[in-house]
Amino acid sequence: MFDQRFIRNFSIIAHIDHGKSTLADQLLLKSGAITQREFREQILDDLDVERERGITVKARAVAIRYTLDGQEYEINLIDTPGHVDFHYEVSRSLAACEGALLVVDAFQGVQAQTVANAYAAIGCDLEIIPVLNKIDLPVTRIPEVMEEIESVVGLDTSNALKVSAKAGIGIEDVFKAIVERIPAPKGKPDDPLRALVFDSKYDHYRGVITYIRVKEGTISKGQKIYFMKAGTAHEILEIGQFRPHMLPCEELGPGQVGYIVTGIKVLGNVHVGDTVCDYLRRPAAPLPGYEIPQQMVFCGMYPIDASDFEHLREELARMSLNDASFSFAADTSEALGFGFRCGFLGMLHMEIIQQRLEKEANVDLIQTAPNVTYQILKTNGEEVFIDNPQEVPDAGSITEFREPIAKVAFILPSDKIGAVMQMCADRRGVFVTTEFLGPQRAQLVWELPLAEIVFDMYDKLKSITQGYGTMNYEIIGYRAADLVKMDILVKGERVDALSTIVHRTSAERRGRALCKRLKEEISRHQFEIPIQAALGARIIARETISAVRKDVTAKCYGGDISRKRKLLEKQKEGKKRMKQFGSVEIPQKAFLSVLDTGNDE
Amino acid sequence: MTHMNNFQSVYIHVPFCRHRCGYCDFTLVAGRDDLIPRYLAALEREMQTYDQPVVVQTIFFGGGTPTHLPSAELKQLLKAVTTRFPLAAGGEFSIEANPLDMTDEVIEVLHSAGCNRVSLGVQSFDNKHLQTLERDHQGGEISEIVQRIRARIPNVSLDLIFGVPGQTLVDWEYDLEQALVCSPTHLSTYGLTFEEGTAFTTRKRRGQLTEIDEGLEREMYALAIKTLNKAGFEHYELSNFARHGYQCQHNLAYWNGSPYAAFGPGAASYLEGTRRTNTRSVLGYLSRMEQGASVIAEAETLEKEHAMREALYVGLRRLNGMDYTEFQQRFGVDLQEFAGETIQRLVKQGLLATDEKGIRLTGEGVFLANRVMAEFL
Repeated sequence: MFDQRFIRNFSIIAHIDHGKSTLADQLLLKSGAITQREFREQILDDLDVERERGITVKARAVAIRYTLDGQEYEINLIDTPGHVDFHYEVSRSLAACEGALLVVDAFQGVQAQTVANAYAAIGCDLEIIPVLNKIDLPVTRIPEVMEEIESVVGLDTSNALKVSAKAGIGIEDVFKAIVERIPAPKGKPDDPLRALVFDSKYDHYRGVITYIRVKEGTISKGQKIYFMKAGTAHEILEIGQFRPHMLPCEELGPGQVGYIVTGIKVLGNVHVGDTVCDYLRRPAAPLPGYEIPQQMVFCGMYPIDASDFEHLREELARMSLNDASFSFAADTSEALGFGFRCGFLGMLHMEIIQQRLEKEANVDLIQTAPNVTYQILKTNGEEVFIDNPQEVPDAGSITEFREPIAKVAFILPSDKIGAVMQMCADRRGVFVTTEFLGPQRAQLVWELPLAEIVFDMYDKLKSITQGYGTMNYEIIGYRAADLVKMDILVKGERVDALSTIVHRTSAERRGRALCKRLKEEISRHQFEIPIQAALGARIIARETISAVRKDVTAKCYGGDISRKRKLLEKQKEGKKRMKQFGSVEIPQKAFLSVLDTGNDE
Repeated sequence: MTHMNNFQSVYIHVPFCRHRCGYCDFTLVAGRDDLIPRYLAALEREMQTYDQPVVVQTIFFGGGTPTHLPSAELKQLLKAVTTRFPLAAGGEFSIEANPLDMTDEVIEVLHSAGCNRVSLGVQSFDNKHLQTLERDHQGGEISEIVQRIRARIPNVSLDLIFGVPGQTLVDWEYDLEQALVCSPTHLSTYGLTFEEGTAFTTRKRRGQLTEIDEGLEREMYALAIKTLNKAGFEHYELSNFARHGYQCQHNLAYWNGSPYAAFGPGAASYLEGTRRTNTRSVLGYLSRMEQGASVIAEAETLEKEHAMREALYVGLRRLNGMDYTEFQQRFGVDLQEFAGETIQRLVKQGLLATDEKGIRLTGEGVFLANRVMAEFL
C-alpha cells in the first residue's frame, strides 16, 4: 500500500479551451506515465464525440508516479468536464480531491465557467492553485488576468504558476506545487473502510467498472464489500489503478484512487455517490455523496423504423449506464409512433447523446425539438409538471402556466454590454447586476427563462461577442408567464411532435418563422402543402409548399442508365430519414427546425 | 470473348466537337482534332476483342459529334465498325449529326457506308436560343439541310431542346412548327437539364443564367406532346416521338433491357447482365488503349431483384410501359407479385395506369416520371 503521506489527489478545472486537457497530457508525459510514442492529444478524452468537440465530458482518473527530491509520490489526476451542462460531473470529481489546479488562459482571462468551477472547488474546501496557461502566446495579459483572478474568484495569485502546457513550459513547477501545496489525504488505513464511488463505466468483458476514492480504511482484492446506498454486497474480483491503462494491484489505502470490478453486469446497479464499505465491518455513516443532477432539457427520440424500438431502448439503456445524468422513458406520439422521452442536463449534453446514438447505435432517429420542464397550476388546484408540449391541458383548465427561470452570469468585453443587454431583454430577461472586472471586461447577471436559453442563446452570445463572451447559469425556480401551446398543421393535420410552448407575445413571430423553416425543410410533393401555425383553433401563420409540376429525366440511353439510376436511388435513400404523415413526408431535420427560429425577423 | 456475342446492338462513341456547348456534360474533347488518328486506332483495337464479325440489328454512332470527323476519317471509322459488325438486312444504322457538317460529301460518305438514319442536332429554330445554347448554325438553314439529307437518307430525326433560359411558350411552339415543316420521321424533345459540372450550372449559380419556371417547362412539354400527337407522331418514349414504323430501334434496345456492345470513351455496354462503362476521360481512354490496359471504369452486375427494379425504371420510360408477359419472360416473376403494393399506391396517386396487359405512366405520370421510377428503385 502506498504511504498516504506521499499521495496527492487533484482535479484540473478550467473554462473550455483554456488548456486543461493539454496540461493533463503534459503531466502524464513528464511523469513517464505515458511515453512520447503513446502521447496523443487529449488522451483523457476517450469518447470520439468529445474529441471532436474538444471537451471532456466523462470524469476519468489517472494515477501518476512522480519523484521529487528522491521521494516518490502518487499523484492522482481526476479529470473534469469544462462545460456548463456538466456542472454535476465537476462536483463529483472535486469531491474525490484535496486540491485543484485552476487553469486560466493568460490572454482570455477569467471566463464564466472559470468562476463557476472555482466556486465549486471552494465549496468542496479544496486547495486551489491558480495556473496561468498559454504564457508563450505572442499577446498575453498576465497582470490583468491575475487581477481578475483576485477580484472575481478571490484567490491569492502571488504564487500563481505560469505555464505553457502546449510547449511544456513550467510543468515541473506544477508538480512541485501539487506536492508542496496540496495536502496529503487524511484517513487511517485501519479505520472501517469508506470509499466514494465517483464514476462507473461499462466494459463488455468485465462488466461494470466502478471508480472509487478511498477515504478511510483499506480495500483489497477478494474482500467482500457492501454498497451502502444500494444495499448490495459483492466480492472484489479485481482492483487496480489507471496508469493511465488499467493496472491491477492487491489493495488501495486511504487517499488512493482506482477501480474495482465486482461482477456487477448492470450499470444501473452502481450508484455514483454511493459509499463502499466492508460487508461485516460497517462504518457509522456513509459519505455525503452527491446532489442528484437536475435535468432541465427534454426531447423526444423516435426510431424512424418502428421495428427499431427495442433496439433503441437497449441503446438508450447502454447510454444511461455510463451517464447517470441522462434519463429516458417510453413515450408515444400520434405523429411519430412509439419512442422515448429523454432528459438531459442541457443542450450540449443532448447533442452529445444524440451523436453518440447515431454513431454507435446505428439507429435512424427522429429527434423532436427540445423543451424545458413547465409547471402548471390547474383550476382544480392541482400542480403538474409538464416536460412534453403534448401534455399541456386545455387553456381553460390552466390557472397559471409557470416556466423555469435561470440566473445567468455573462462575462464579456465591456463594449458588448449593450448588445448582450438587448439580447437578454428580447428574451424576456430581468436585469440583476453589472460589475466591471477591469477596464475592458464586465460581468452581467440576468434572470432569464430557461426556455429562452436553450433556444440557441449560447450560439447567439458567441456571435454577438465574437467568441469572447461566456455564460454560466443555474436554475433559481419557477415563475408564472403568459405561455401558450403552439401547434403546427401540415396539410390540415396537426403534427403533435412539432408542437411547442411559446410566450404569447412572441407566438406570431415564432409561428411565422417556423412555418417558413418547415417550408424549406419539407420537399415539394405532387400536391400543394399548406403549413400553418395555430394557437388552439386560431391560425396565426401560414406558408404553402407548391406542388411539383415536372420531374422527368430527359435523356436515358445506354451510358445514362446506371448513372441516372444511382441519382434516383440516392434521392430515395434520403427519404429513409423521413416520416410519413398522411400523404406528406417530413424529414428528420424538420423536427429540429423549431430551434432555429428563435431570432428570425 | 466470342461468348459475349449474343447482342444485336452496337454503340460507338465519337468524342470530338468543334466546341463544348454550355449545357453539355457528355464525354468529349473540343478543339483536339489532333487526337483523331489515335482515337481511330484505339477504337479499332477495342473492337478487336471480337475476333469474328458479329452481325447486328442496330448500329448507333453518338457523341460528341460523329460528323465532326473529316470525311476521310469518318469513312475510315464507319468502315472499321461495319467490317467488325455488319448490319443485318433491314437493320438500323444511325448517326448523330451536326447540321453544318452535312455537306453533300459527308452525306455521300454516310450513305455509301450503309447509314440509313440521321439524328440531326437542331435544338432550336430560333437564332436567339441557338446562341444561348452556343450552337453554330442558324435556324433558317435547317430546312434546306434536311432536304439534302433526305434525298439520300430518307429517315431523318430532329433533336429539339425546350426550357432554354429566356424561351417562351410561343417560341417553343414556333420550334415545333418549324420542325414539322421539315417532315422528319422522328423527333426527340429534351427538357434542358442543368447538369453538374457544366458551364450552364456554374452560370446559374452565379446568377448569370436563370432556369425557366417549372410550370412553364411543364406547359412546353405538354405542348410538344399535344402538337406532335396531332401531327401523327406517336409519343413512344418520354423524350421521343415517331411516325409509324420509325421508332428508334437502337434506343428501344436500351429501354427493353436487350444486350448491347459499346466502344469508345464513356461508352457503356450491357452484356450477359453486366453493364460496363468505359472511362469518361478521352485521353485516359487513348493512353490505356495504347498500353493495352483495360478502359473499363466501372462494371456492375445487378442481382436479380435490383435488375428487376432497374427494368421497371428504364422500361416505364416507354409510353407502352411494362407488360406483364414481358416482365414474366425476362425474369420469370409476376410483376404484380413483385411490386403490386407500389403499383397500387402509384395508381391511387394517379401516376400509373394498369390494365390486363400491364402497367404504364398516366398522362400525369409522364410529367412526374422520376417520382414514379424512384418508387420502384
